[in-house]
Amino acid sequence: MRETTLTRRSFVKAAAVAGAALTAGATLTGCLKEGGDTQGGGASGRAMYVSICHGCIQACPCKVYVENGVVVKIEGHPDAPTNQGSLCIKGLNQIHTCYSPRRVLYPLKRTGARGANDATWERVSWDDAIELAASKIAEAIEKYGTYAFFASVGGGGAYSFMQAMTTPMALGSPTVFEPGCAQCYLPRITEAAYMYGGADQSIADCAVLEPFKGLAPLEEAKGVTQDTKVLVLWAAQPSVSQTAQSGRGMAELRARGCKTIVVDPNFSPDAVKATIHLPVRPGADAALILAWYRVILDEKLYDEEFTKFFTNIPFLINPDTKLPWLATEVIEGYTPPADMPENTPVYVCVDENTGEVAPLPFGDAATVSQSVNPQVLATATVGGLESKSAGQIYRDEAEPWTLEKAEEFCWVPADRIRAAIDLYTGAEVAGIANGVASDMEETASQVPVGLMGLDMIMGYINKPGATMTQNGPLPAEGEAPRPTMFWNGFGGMFGQMYGIGYEVGATKEANEARIQAIEDGANPDAPPFQNGPTLYAMNQLLLDRLGMKNHRGLYNWCHSHIPSVREAIETGEPFKPRVWFDMSGNKFAVLGSAGAWYNAIMDDGVDFIICQYPMITSFQIEVADLIFPLEEWLEATGASEFGQLNYAFPSPGVIHLGETVPNSVPPKRVIDAASVKLNEKLGSITFGGTGKTIEEMNLQFPLGLGVMGGINSEEEVWATQIAAFGPVLGLAEGATRDDYLEAARDRADAYNVTPPDQYWTYGQHLVTANDGLPVGFATESRKCEVYNTLHIKLSRTGWPYCYPRELGPIDPRAGTWDGEYSPICNVPVQKEVPEIANGGDFVAPFDPEFPLAITSGRVYYFHHGTMRHAPFARELYPAPLVRINSKTAADYGIADGDWVEISSRRTQGTDFVHGTGLEAAYSGIKEQNTKTAEPIRAIAYVAEVVAPNVLWMERFWNPECYDSTQSTKTGGWQECNVNVITNAIDCNFNEVFGSYTNRGFTVNIKKSEKPANVWVEPKEFAPFMPTTTNEYAPDDIGVAIENKELLTPIVSFPDAAPAEGGQ
Amino acid sequence: MPKRSLVIDLDRCSGCDSCVVACKFENSVALGNYWTTVVPVKPTGTHPDIDMYWVPMQCQQCENSPCVGACPTGASYRDSENNVVLINKEECTGCKSCLAACPYSDPEGNQKPSVRWFNEEEGVTEKCTLCNHLTAASDGVENTNDTSDPAHAVPPCVHNCSCGARSFGDLDDPNSAASKVLAQAETDGRKVCIIEAEGVMPATRYILSEEIATWRGLGE
Repeated sequence: MRETTLTRRSFVKAAAVAGAALTAGATLTGCLKEGGDTQGGGASGRAMYVSICHGCIQACPCKVYVENGVVVKIEGHPDAPTNQGSLCIKGLNQIHTCYSPRRVLYPLKRTGARGANDATWERVSWDDAIELAASKIAEAIEKYGTYAFFASVGGGGAYSFMQAMTTPMALGSPTVFEPGCAQCYLPRITEAAYMYGGADQSIADCAVLEPFKGLAPLEEAKGVTQDTKVLVLWAAQPSVSQTAQSGRGMAELRARGCKTIVVDPNFSPDAVKATIHLPVRPGADAALILAWYRVILDEKLYDEEFTKFFTNIPFLINPDTKLPWLATEVIEGYTPPADMPENTPVYVCVDENTGEVAPLPFGDAATVSQSVNPQVLATATVGGLESKSAGQIYRDEAEPWTLEKAEEFCWVPADRIRAAIDLYTGAEVAGIANGVASDMEETASQVPVGLMGLDMIMGYINKPGATMTQNGPLPAEGEAPRPTMFWNGFGGMFGQMYGIGYEVGATKEANEARIQAIEDGANPDAPPFQNGPTLYAMNQLLLDRLGMKNHRGLYNWCHSHIPSVREAIETGEPFKPRVWFDMSGNKFAVLGSAGAWYNAIMDDGVDFIICQYPMITSFQIEVADLIFPLEEWLEATGASEFGQLNYAFPSPGVIHLGETVPNSVPPKRVIDAASVKLNEKLGSITFGGTGKTIEEMNLQFPLGLGVMGGINSEEEVWATQIAAFGPVLGLAEGATRDDYLEAARDRADAYNVTPPDQYWTYGQHLVTANDGLPVGFATESRKCEVYNTLHIKLSRTGWPYCYPRELGPIDPRAGTWDGEYSPICNVPVQKEVPEIANGGDFVAPFDPEFPLAITSGRVYYFHHGTMRHAPFARELYPAPLVRINSKTAADYGIADGDWVEISSRRTQGTDFVHGTGLEAAYSGIKEQNTKTAEPIRAIAYVAEVVAPNVLWMERFWNPECYDSTQSTKTGGWQECNVNVITNAIDCNFNEVFGSYTNRGFTVNIKKSEKPANVWVEPKEFAPFMPTTTNEYAPDDIGVAIENKELLTPIVSFPDAAPAEGGQ
Repeated sequence: MPKRSLVIDLDRCSGCDSCVVACKFENSVALGNYWTTVVPVKPTGTHPDIDMYWVPMQCQQCENSPCVGACPTGASYRDSENNVVLINKEECTGCKSCLAACPYSDPEGNQKPSVRWFNEEEGVTEKCTLCNHLTAASDGVENTNDTSDPAHAVPPCVHNCSCGARSFGDLDDPNSAASKVLAQAETDGRKVCIIEAEGVMPATRYILSEEIATWRGLGE
C-alpha cells in the first residue's frame, strides 16, 4: 500500500461504526472483531506469535495470542534461556497499555493554552502534522540559527535513542539530552571503555551475561555450565528492576548455591536473599569501596600475575603530569625492544627484585617476568621527582578508610564488610555487578572506576564466572590487530563516520594521517558524508555542546548536560534552545528537579514543543504543542534482533491501531521536510557556533548521515525482521508482513540461536595478535587502566573526543583531583547528608532543617515513567510508598500507612532565581534559594527495611489528575513525584559526567493527608481499563477495541522526495 | 482422592505480584478482587539484623474444606473428577456463608488478606480455581512446546511466576511437578510449611529455608 490508509473517507465511516458500538466495559476476551488480513491471526480463531517483551530495558521472549485481531493473552516463552517462561507484571500489563483509553491514536495538535487544566486537542492528518513540525523548526533555524533546535529522549518506552541523538546533528545543533544517560548507565559503560575497552558491570543493561548462562535445561543439555559461584550486586536489584529476566536468573543462581553479596541501603528482595547484605548509607559507596581496596592491597589478596602484567597499577606516575612515566623519558638511552610496535608504549615500574626503576614492556607474563618483577606498592625518585606507583596512589587514597572508619561513615558493621571482602576475594572467580545508584550521585565516575578496578586487580576478567567477560567468536591466533577504540557516539560510530575523535591505541601519526585523508578527500572509497566540511561542523558541535566546559564524559553518547540546557533556556546564554522535539515519555516524572523544568518552560519560554509517544503523560498534557502517535510494543516491529544471551527473538507487530507509526518514522520525515525548506535559504542560515552561513561552511541539510535509524515507513522495519527470521520460518526473500504473520502463526520455534561455543568465550586479551604480542586491551597502555589516565587528559583538552581540535581545561572547581578528574576512586564531598559522626571534609555541613537521607530504587510495577495508567498495576501500587525505619517513624509521629509530606531544599525557602544554578553548584554556595515547587506526598511503609534516618522512595506520577472526571486538572507530576525534590539545580555535579543528585540527598518529613485528586481505591482506576472510549479523540471515533475500523493496516506514506544532504 | 494444589518455594519468591496479574488476566478478575495475593511478612528484629519473606495466598484447597459444608445451595463443591474445591457461580446466592467459614478469608470478601472475594457486580463469591478450565485433565508437568496442551497445562500464575517459585499438581501423585519439588525440598533439608488453621488441613505447601528466614506464617 502506498497511501495513508485512514483517509478522510474511512475516518467518517469509522465514526459511524463507533457511534453504534458505544457501550461501556468491553473486555478483551469477549469481543469478536474482524481484524482483516493485516492483523495477526486473521479473521479466524486464536493464533500464537513468538515475540519479545519491551516492558523494561531487558527483553523477555514471550508468546502473544491474538484472537480475531485482538491480543487476548501474553505469556513468557519457556524456551527462553533466562526467563524460561516467566513474565512479570510489566510484561503482562502490556495488554492494558496497548488498549489503554489514554493511547494517542492520531496526530494531535493543541488548540488551547499550555497547561493541563486548559488542554484541548484537535486531530490533524499526518501530512499536516509533519508540515507543521517542519515549518516550526525551519522558522526558528532561519531566524535564530541552527542552535535554536534541540531534541530529547528517555523517560520510558518508545525509545528512539539513535534518532534523538542524530536529529539535532542533522540540523546543525549540538543539543540533545536524556534524563537517564549521565544519571543512568552512561558513567558505567563509559568508564569500562576508558579502563579496558570491554563490557561494563551492568546487569540491567545486559552487559553482564556470564552469570546467567547454563541455567536453562535446553542449554544444560548442550553441556553449558553455570560458573559464577560468588556474585556481588552493588546497588542492583535485578529481582525488582528486571523481574522476569535477571530476577528469574538470580532465583536460579541462588537455587544452585551461588553466594551473593548485596550492597544496598534498602532491604530489597535480592538483599533479603543475600548471603551478606551491606546496607550502605545512601551516597557512601565510594568510601566503602576504598575500605575494600585497603584490605586487598595490604593483605595482597589481589591476583598478582594479572595486576603486575595486565594492569597499569605498577606504573610509576609523574606527580606533575599525573600520567605514567615513559621508559624513554626516564631511562637514559633506553630504546624499546625491536619487536615492540610504536602503538604500545613502554612505561616504568620499580623492579621488586632489584629495587631499581625498570622498564615494564607490554607482553605475556611468562616473557616479561624474566626481565622485571613489577612492584605493586612502590615509591621511587624518577626524573628528580618522588613518584609513586599507581597502586601506591590508590593505597594512599584508601588510608583513612579502615573497616572501623568505614562503619562509622557508611553505617555498615565492620565485621560484615570484612566477611564480604573475604567471600569476594576467597572465591576462585567472582564478579561485581554494579547498578544504577552511583550514576545518580556525586560519585557517578568514582564508583564504577573503583568497582571495575577491583575486578581487574582480582583478575576476575575474561574468565568463566566473572562479570566482565566478552561474547562472540575469538579471533584466530596471530590475526587480530592491536585493539583500539574510537570515540563519540555508541561504540565511537561518529568517530568512524565523520573522523572526529582520536583513535586510542593507534599512534599520533596514524591519527593525523586519518584526519588529513578526510580533509583532503584522499580516500576514493569514503562515504559521501565523510569530508572536511562535515568533519569541521561535527567537531564544532562538540566544542559548543552545553555543559562540556566541565563534564566531558557526556561526549560518549553525544549528549548535553541537562542542567546546562535548562539554564540556557532560562537565560538565553550561550544560546537559547527554542524548538524542542521530544521522543519518549514523561519528562516531568523523570527529570531531576522537575519543578525547575516546568518553570523554565512556562516562564522563560520554549517556542514550540513536538512530542512523539503512544500515550498522553504529564509532559504532553502540560506543554506539548503537537503529538505524533506511536505504536506500542504489540504493534511495533523491531528494527533489529532482540536477544537474551545467545538467543535472538523476533519482535513482530501483530496488531495495529489507528494511525500509529514506528518511532523511527516521524524524525526522518520531519527532518527531511525541514531540510527541503532550509536548503532554499542556505546563504542566510547561520551555523550556531561559527557565525558563518551554512553555504559558507559548504554544507547542506540534513548534515552528515541525517537521522540515523530513521525510516520512511513501517515496511522498512518489516524487511529487517523478515531478513532475520525469514530463514527459520522458511520464508523466501521479498516476503511481506502478511507472509510473515501467516508463516509465524503458532510457530513456537520462531527464533535463532548462536551455538554456545561461538558465544561464550574467554581469554580474549591472551590471544596472540598479529604483532606477536598478546591482544591486550583497547587502551593507550594496552593494559587494564585501573589508574584511569584518560580522565586526566579528558579534563585538560577534551581528548580523545574533540580531536583534532581541543577544549581548554575544566573549571578547577568542578574537579576533585587537584582541579582535574580523579583517575581513581576517591570520596568527593557529599553535599546533602544526614548527621554523620566525624564526617570531616568528606561531607558538607549538616543542615538540621533537612535531617533525613533519601534514596530510591524501582518497584516491580513500573519501568522508568511507564505504566502508571495500567489499572492492574495501580490497584496494587496506587501511590508511592516511602520506606521508613520504625524508630524514625516513631520520632516523627508517623504510623504505617499514613500519608506523609516530604520536603527538600527544592520545595522550601525562597524561589529559585533562574540562571543561578550552575554557578551556585560550582562555587559551593550554601545558602540555597531553590524553591521550585510544593512538597510532595507519599504513603509511609514503616518497617526495619532501611536504617534509621534513611528513606527510600520510587518516582511516581498520577495520570488520574487530568482525567476528565477531575474538576480541576493538573499534570499529575507534582503530587507524588520524588523528582520534584531531587537536586538537579545546585548539587555537586559528578565531575566527569555532570550527573546530578537523584539519590543520596536530604529531606524532612511530616504526617499529612492524601492529595484529593490522587486515586487509591482499586475501583477508582476503572477509567483506565480498556473501554469503548478514547480520552484524546472525539467521542465518536476513539474506540480502541470495539471498533474494527480502528484495527487498521499499518500506515504507509506516499513517497516523498528525500532531501539530499551531507554532500 | 486426588490432592491438587500448589507448592510455593519461598526461598525463590521475591514478592513481585506477577502471579496476581497473570491470574487477573486469565480469569477477568474485577478491580479490587484478587484470587491470589502476595502477603509480605515484614521483618522482625532490628535493622540490620532482620529477615523477611513473602507468602503468595490463594485458596488453600483444604482437605476438610469448611466452605463446602457451609454453603446452603451447594455452590461450593468439589470437582467430581479431580477433587478441586470450586464455586459454581450459577448456584451462588452471595450469602457469604463460605466467607465466614473460610479461615483464610475476609468475612466480607473485600479486603486483604483473603482468598475468597465477593464480586459485587455479579453478587457472587469467587476464588482461585487452580485454573480448572485449563488444567482439569492435566498432570501438572507443563508441555513447553504447547502450553495449552490440556494433558499438561498449568495455571498462568505458575507458568509466568518470575522466580520459578510455583509448582502445580496432585500431591498424591509422586510424578506431578508439585510432588517432585516437595520431595527435593525434603531431600535438601529445607523446611516445608503450611499456613495453619484449626481442622481444615490445607493442601497448599510452602518451602522456606531457615537461612533465608524463620517461618512465622503470615506474620502479625
